[in-house]
Amino acid sequence: MKSREQEYKEIFIAEALEYFDALNRHISDLEKRPQEDKLLAEIFRLLHNLKANAKAIGYLRISDVSHKLETAFSLIRNKELQFSDEIVTVLFEGVDLLGELIHNIDNENYGEPDPVLLRNLDIIVDNLSDSTIELAKVQRYNPTKNLSLSELVYIQIKKLDHLLNLVGELVIDRDRILSISRELGNDELKSVSSHLNRITEELQYSIMDARLVSIGSLFNKFPRIVRDIAIAEKKEVDLALSGHDIQIDRNILQIITDSLLHLVRNAITHGIEKPEQREKKGKSRTGKLSLVARNDRENVQIQLSDDGNGIDLVQVRKAIVERNFLSTAAVEHLPPTEVLSYLFEPGFSLAKEVTEFSGRGVGLDVVKNAVDAIGGRIWVESEKGLGTTFILQLPTSIAVKGALLFEVDSIFYAIPLIHTEQVVAMEVSELHEVGGVLVADVFGETITVVYLHELLNVKEREMNLGDKSRLKGLVQNIIIVSYNNRKLGLIVDKLYRQQDIVVKPLSKPLDAIDLYGGVTLLGSGNVCLVLDVPAVTRYFISRRQLVAAE
Amino acid sequence: MKRILIVDDSFYMRTMLKNMLSDAGYEVVGEAPNGQTALELAKELKPDLITLDVILPDNTGLDVLKGIKAEQPDMKVVIVSAVGQEVIVNEAMEYGALSYIVKPFSEEKVLEVVSQVLKEE
Amino acid sequence: MPSKKNTAAQAAPVPVEENTPAPANGKEQQEKSKANEPLLHLIVFKLGAEYYGIKIEQVKEVTVTPSITRMPRTPDFVKGVANIRGDIIAIMDLEERFGIKPVPASSENGITYTLVIEAKEYSIGVVVKEVPQSLNLSVSKMDKAPSFLQDIAVQENYIEGLAKVDNRLIIVLDMYKILSGDEIKQLSS
Repeated sequence: MKSREQEYKEIFIAEALEYFDALNRHISDLEKRPQEDKLLAEIFRLLHNLKANAKAIGYLRISDVSHKLETAFSLIRNKELQFSDEIVTVLFEGVDLLGELIHNIDNENYGEPDPVLLRNLDIIVDNLSDSTIELAKVQRYNPTKNLSLSELVYIQIKKLDHLLNLVGELVIDRDRILSISRELGNDELKSVSSHLNRITEELQYSIMDARLVSIGSLFNKFPRIVRDIAIAEKKEVDLALSGHDIQIDRNILQIITDSLLHLVRNAITHGIEKPEQREKKGKSRTGKLSLVARNDRENVQIQLSDDGNGIDLVQVRKAIVERNFLSTAAVEHLPPTEVLSYLFEPGFSLAKEVTEFSGRGVGLDVVKNAVDAIGGRIWVESEKGLGTTFILQLPTSIAVKGALLFEVDSIFYAIPLIHTEQVVAMEVSELHEVGGVLVADVFGETITVVYLHELLNVKEREMNLGDKSRLKGLVQNIIIVSYNNRKLGLIVDKLYRQQDIVVKPLSKPLDAIDLYGGVTLLGSGNVCLVLDVPAVTRYFISRRQLVAAE
Repeated sequence: MKRILIVDDSFYMRTMLKNMLSDAGYEVVGEAPNGQTALELAKELKPDLITLDVILPDNTGLDVLKGIKAEQPDMKVVIVSAVGQEVIVNEAMEYGALSYIVKPFSEEKVLEVVSQVLKEE
Repeated sequence: MPSKKNTAAQAAPVPVEENTPAPANGKEQQEKSKANEPLLHLIVFKLGAEYYGIKIEQVKEVTVTPSITRMPRTPDFVKGVANIRGDIIAIMDLEERFGIKPVPASSENGITYTLVIEAKEYSIGVVVKEVPQSLNLSVSKMDKAPSFLQDIAVQENYIEGLAKVDNRLIIVLDMYKILSGDEIKQLSS
């Protein structure tokens, strides 16, 4: 919603109003101490800035009046003009006019400024030595002046971070109060707590809103960057941008800035071919790169596509085996999406040959870590010869996340919705034991399933991830999560609701445990562990590999 | 990436300059709204280039220029001024400013001056 | 007017009175010591059959153990996390940590107590089975840990010294050293 022009305008107005207030203060002081150089210098500086800013943004009337006033004050400063009563009146009126012009920037019905006043200003500025100038009486145009303060304040992001943390704490206490109030059944308490509920929610969303910036502030940097990289690489690249106005938390944008830069650089260096090569392939000389942002449910999706080389799955499969990630047999049956997901593996991306053949790789694990850190997702789609698309799915806000609550072995857990694909209920008979793990057919797709109780609570020595008989009950609730293009079904004991949670990071020394992304407090006062899906997936894979190795 | 410090007492001007420069691939490492901060940041950040407004609330831009040059004689400084301040600009050039930009400025002009000054090694 | 020493004791950040029942003997055990000798203020508790002490500066508060949420796949000495006044902190079992054979709890009602320790880097809770007691003794009553104890392993130097009071041996722990870098690493693996 906020284009750069809009942003400039808001800044201009806010600053102009500040100047206007300061001018009023200073000329009142000047009336009492007409000889004070410091005051004159300050007034001159303010008018000077106002003139320059107004000229830059194109408010010529404001710059014109500021210029006249600036000239008048510099005459006074150089003792070429007396700061006499008559002149003071005109200058005051001139400053008032400035205020009026600033306030009416958006008012289309605002007419012309009083010509008499403008002429009086001209007389002062032009007829400097003539002391007998006639200053016409100006009609007092706006006797009821409104006092107004700036509409805009600048605030350090640190302060907003603090506010957001506080509101997080508040939300937790509110949930607790709501739950107590339900238990007690006191009508008065109920009404107060429901009001508290509303207010807290509004407060939370207002603060989240205050932290939003438009993605355009990052996108606008890319045309130049793309041009420079393309020239350095001797390539021709057309960049198309869209979705400038999509809003996202400022810190999230900050964190992914480097990642996006890296992906863009990769796309030009390794993805898009040289013009001659493209022509040989029957493509246009100029490669197409597009950067698109859009809202997707509660998240923001950023998509970076190129129409270059694409990724060679055969080469990636080969590299997976060479890097000892999987056996030749296992790789053959790996669906393409999963094959591509290995590009984000740390050990994998270091492989030089992969970079050359597949056109991708170096540093993708770093990009992935950055995206993981803010609770986002990244995946890649590619077709050999036709191009590659990276998709980043990012939360709009850091602190509050939609999450799914559940219970395993009497412990409450939450998983952020950004990682959940779907929830299904299945009978035990629909689960099959294959190669030491459980698999299920979910709407035609074979998905690996793991009993969370087994994965989390059973001694590692005794863990058996492929033993159906360890499941309790007939029907199993399965949350299907997705990480790095790989789906995993988590069997939970009890499934609860979906809820917005405030994730509190774990404090030292527990922050070293990566299985948990943090904790949240439930309305009941219970501590709920927030599972880190990437870490759970990694843990599962490491267990499975251990079993396979035995 | 070349690192630039912007000195200007107007937030609006700083924002415009910052956007123009960072869009063009420069890194704006600091912004100073007054002479005192400008001197401190120049010392601390050691940028590749400083854009310096000539009218500042505490010092004149000229004093700031002299202060910077006294500590870092090789620092590249570009003066940003408005029409009608040619005298100051000339004086600044004598004290070692490399070039100047006149407000209101166009993006092309700013980038032209900055890239030219940064090219001269 | 309270004496200077009393004021200092009140200002100590341990609301023992608030959260724990009064010790069996009803008051603090006060060592008869020379007036000018500096005092060591310890919170004393039992692990297994032995008495342990922590300097009061390292103890933020003592509270009845709140409900603990287990954290799967953490070392055995991590009992889980608990919500103490809005802060979520790790609760440790020192008997498990030191490999001390637990003695059956003497408290009938199953209530345990948690000492909240605030170190530079982290806050942890330490669970004890009996009411911790507050004890003042003169510094000279504490011996530095015997050298062979210090020699065992670098990791074991969390034992700051041994104090003898009324024929009782109190092992004084330095809680700042109790979670070594190795253990934090163990937590993350």
